[in-house]
Amino acid sequence: MHVLVTTDGSRQSLTAARTFKGFADPTKISDISVIAVIRPLSSVAFADEISDRAELGDADLSFRAEAERAVATVAAEFEGWGPTVHARLRSGSAAGEIIKAAKQLHAGLIVIAAGGRGLGGGVLVGSTAQRVQHYAPCPVLVVRPQPRPNRPRRPRGNRPPNPRT
Amino acid sequence: MAVVETSPGRGEHPPAAELTRSITGRLLFFYVLGDVLGSGIYVLIGSVAGEVGGAFWIAFAAGVSVAAMTGLAYAELATKYPKAAGAALYVNKAFGNRALAFLVTVSFLSASFAAAGSLSIGFARYFLELWDVPPALLVALVFLAALTLINFIGITESVVINMLMTFVEISGLVIVIAIGVWYIATESPDFSRLVEFETSAANPIFAIVAGVALAFFAMTGFENVANVAEETIDPQRAFPRALIGGMVAAGVIYVLVAMVASLVVGSTDLAASDAALLEVVKADVIGLPLGFMTTLFAVIACIAITNTTLVAVVTQPRILYGMAREDVVPGVFAKLHPTRRSPWVGLIFSSLVIATLLVIGTLVVKAGGGIDLIARLATVTVVLLLFIYVLVIAAAFKLGGRDESEQTFRAPRALLGIGLVGNLVLLVYVVVDDPTSLIWCAGLIAVGGVLFALEYLFGRRNRPLSAERGDPSTTSTKEA
Repeated sequence: MHVLVTTDGSRQSLTAARTFKGFADPTKISDISVIAVIRPLSSVAFADEISDRAELGDADLSFRAEAERAVATVAAEFEGWGPTVHARLRSGSAAGEIIKAAKQLHAGLIVIAAGGRGLGGGVLVGSTAQRVQHYAPCPVLVVRPQPRPNRPRRPRGNRPPNPRT
Repeated sequence: MAVVETSPGRGEHPPAAELTRSITGRLLFFYVLGDVLGSGIYVLIGSVAGEVGGAFWIAFAAGVSVAAMTGLAYAELATKYPKAAGAALYVNKAFGNRALAFLVTVSFLSASFAAAGSLSIGFARYFLELWDVPPALLVALVFLAALTLINFIGITESVVINMLMTFVEISGLVIVIAIGVWYIATESPDFSRLVEFETSAANPIFAIVAGVALAFFAMTGFENVANVAEETIDPQRAFPRALIGGMVAAGVIYVLVAMVASLVVGSTDLAASDAALLEVVKADVIGLPLGFMTTLFAVIACIAITNTTLVAVVTQPRILYGMAREDVVPGVFAKLHPTRRSPWVGLIFSSLVIATLLVIGTLVVKAGGGIDLIARLATVTVVLLLFIYVLVIAAAFKLGGRDESEQTFRAPRALLGIGLVGNLVLLVYVVVDDPTSLIWCAGLIAVGGVLFALEYLFGRRNRPLSAERGDPSTTSTKEA
């Protein structure tokens, strides 16, 4: 089976990859494709929030490099686990490209994070995850954010949550 | 939109994958055309006509030429360094001066603020043709808020919507040109209008320069093309073609529209109108019902202005994001909304700056101080962009021969030279003619200065919250 592990550079997506690895049986998986989609027309085409920050040269902001690093970071999670790991970068609309990739690769499963906590938890559902669920050609594992710790936070919880491995 | 894949052996971690890009030459062309077309002609044609008189199409022709020569420099540099940072990157590569690169970035951001402000007011004036109830300032502010929301949600990411809006933009100008053709065919047009100068300036040359300075605003926007540089397929071929092709196409449309407007309406009436291009439609040259045509055209104008403003609204948080990553503005600008993945702090901040600009501008105009707000903000944009364009052309000269390969596009040096002189002449003229604009420029650049000061003073407090940021090392990664 070919599994598509998606990342948007968020900690949630790394958590999703780890969740998947936590229960899946590597002997039944032939390939894992870690995929990131760069959105060229958006304000921030891609942001890597999961790799050790390696600042690029000052004026040299490169969304491509960000996406490459994020994919490499997620791919590293599956290092030595068994299945062949592929890194894939696409460009365009996130949900559309993920679905296209799943079709082309005859993926057996898509792993995707459902967006963050904070305001997003109730009000805004991750639209990419939602669209992928609706139109994917295969089963989709949507990893929801972990429940909040009891300590009440400020309502502006925009920080990426700490993933617990 | 193809895929590049790498398949290392089992157990190895994959080498860095190569990105396959998604912006084709054609998409790039429409991106340039859409971005350039909306910005000026709908909004500014009246002001330009007022400066020059019936011959104001010459101002558009000259403005287009200077801008296209600047576009050549952008095309050359973008093919050499296809990165999103644009002008700041080129200047930094050429002069190796971080302070100058910072100034360029802040100027670009400020120009974008001023342009968005001017466009918002332009939108409001056309909107009031449809529904003349709310005050213009309110319409402009609601418009701005709506665009910010759209950008937050991420609708701007659709390539298809982008293309559709560009087609609508072109259709509006085609309507104007068609009216002109009809007018020439059926009435007896007074062609002498096309060479008339009705101006307060002593010399027609000055009148034209004044007109060009304003008309130049109509050509701005092409520099935003750097946004998608990284994602462009085969940039060495696509960039020169799309950039120059888009600008020349826009230029031809502009000159034709300006001629038609001059023939059908006359410069005096154009200058007096709030929504000048609508006067051409209102002249009732063709037989279609006037009410319908007016509404249709006002809607088209609104869409055109929306398209261009959207690009500005998308670009501003991106610039702030890049600056936050360099640690020259506070780190919150690099925060993305967890669900939407949009830089919401930068978005809100940008819209607040533009809103403030609009409110202050409206108050200043009400108090009787200075010129029409659209022209004022357009001038501010032009001053800042001319400054950047001069530096970019200089950077193209300085970087000539460096980082070149066989495919690199090389702009003709003579044209670059003319472009440099043209930009400088305009810059000097605008500043001498309207020194007040410098105050506005300084005010906007000060916003960038304040952000830098905040980061400089409190940056360390920011850093633990975003623990990864602020490491100046350019190489090491976890993977390396």
